[in-house]
Amino acid sequence: MNMVLLLFVSLAIVLMLMLAWVARPPKRVLLSVDQVFETLSEERHYARLPQILQSLRHDDTDFLIGSGHDELAVRLRGERKRIALRYLNYLEEEYQLLLEASRILAKIAPEITPMEEFERFRRNARFVLSCRYLRLRLHLGLQPWEVFGSISDMEGDLTLWLEAATARIGEQAATASEFPLFLEKGHRSSE
Amino acid sequence: MFTLQLSNDTLPGMVEIPNLRTLVWAISTLLELVLMCYLLRKKLYRSHPVFLIYVLTTILQSAVVASSYKYFGPRSVTSFEIAWGSQAVGISARWFAVAEIARRALAGYAGIWGMTNRILFVLGAGVLFYSIAASGSLWTLVVLNADRAVELCIAAFIVGMLFFVRYYRLPMSSVERLLAIGFCLYSCFCVMNDSIYENWRQPIAALWNYLDILTFLATLILWSSAVRKYEEAPGASAHLAVSPEMYGKFSQKLNSRLQLLNNRLNHLLRSEDPRS
Repeated sequence: MNMVLLLFVSLAIVLMLMLAWVARPPKRVLLSVDQVFETLSEERHYARLPQILQSLRHDDTDFLIGSGHDELAVRLRGERKRIALRYLNYLEEEYQLLLEASRILAKIAPEITPMEEFERFRRNARFVLSCRYLRLRLHLGLQPWEVFGSISDMEGDLTLWLEAATARIGEQAATASEFPLFLEKGHRSSE
Repeated sequence: MFTLQLSNDTLPGMVEIPNLRTLVWAISTLLELVLMCYLLRKKLYRSHPVFLIYVLTTILQSAVVASSYKYFGPRSVTSFEIAWGSQAVGISARWFAVAEIARRALAGYAGIWGMTNRILFVLGAGVLFYSIAASGSLWTLVVLNADRAVELCIAAFIVGMLFFVRYYRLPMSSVERLLAIGFCLYSCFCVMNDSIYENWRQPIAALWNYLDILTFLATLILWSSAVRKYEEAPGASAHLAVSPEMYGKFSQKLNSRLQLLNNRLNHLLRSEDPRS
């Protein structure tokens, strides 16, 4: 069997698989035009993000391991992984909303906007790929807190507007998890 | 001389029609006629005139090729030229029919259409050139390679189109979806069939012709079933459109939000703990 045959047969099979994927009926539309535009005009808040990022640092788990509390350190890291995934979930929820808004906006877009649409499509694709990659890292246990660790140092790089817009998601992630309570218990047991 | 060499050497000459293959050919022609009747009865010629022309082209192609085999003989150069010439016309008609489906699905949304038609045509052209470049260097197979490249290009174009339809959750009637799926599946099977022929050539020439007709028969069944079940929608609602100013405002807001999310992820992905 030569390479050309293999190449083209593979391409045809890949195209058929992709066809099976794209030809599925689309998911139900969750939001109306008004709902999307209303949500877009709201401010989003990530006020607790620096605290979350700080809590994902290595320092205290290193301290726990150093003081012989290995099991606790493992539990703590597990919790941190859960929180990181939860944070990613919130980012994705926000993204889904924006995606829905993008779709609606694209449908009502006037003729002059192909580049705008292309730019948005590019950003959507980039977000999806980055998100999948990060999630994969977290699931594979590739020490995600090392990746997250220095995020809080970068907070200064982001503008005030960006902070205000993301604050709510961070707050939700912080409130929803039991992380602070768990930390408190951890510190007590290490004392 | 050149074409005679081709037909006797490497190209499937669409020759020697055994009884079973003749039967399948006759059935497919009959199904083409049935599909044509359905299209006329359901008045789909108003909304899909190019598809109707395509079906008409395939019927004429069958008639012309059958006549040439009868009058010039199945192994003559004239029959060979007529068969492959009509194939070129058929593929061109198929391209236009696919473009019609894409236009009907996407052109109602100016912004989306403005972007997707460029992407889809660039994608199609890219696949076409890549297929030609990746094909074997045997000059006697140039017609077969061109045929395969165009088929692959059509399949990629349809997958791309359906991707955008799904991504933007655009409404698409079941008949259009099935027509597109039929075109795509047929093109994919043609790519495989052509590639298999290229590898083994004359020993499987009869099977090559037979499989081609059989695949087209399956596609015709899919299309006929879709057209038969077609019910005209009770007046599609007009698409909402906003002014460029309003669009610009919302667009800017959306892009900023998306930029924000991407910045977040970028920082998460690129940051490395200096202590590790």
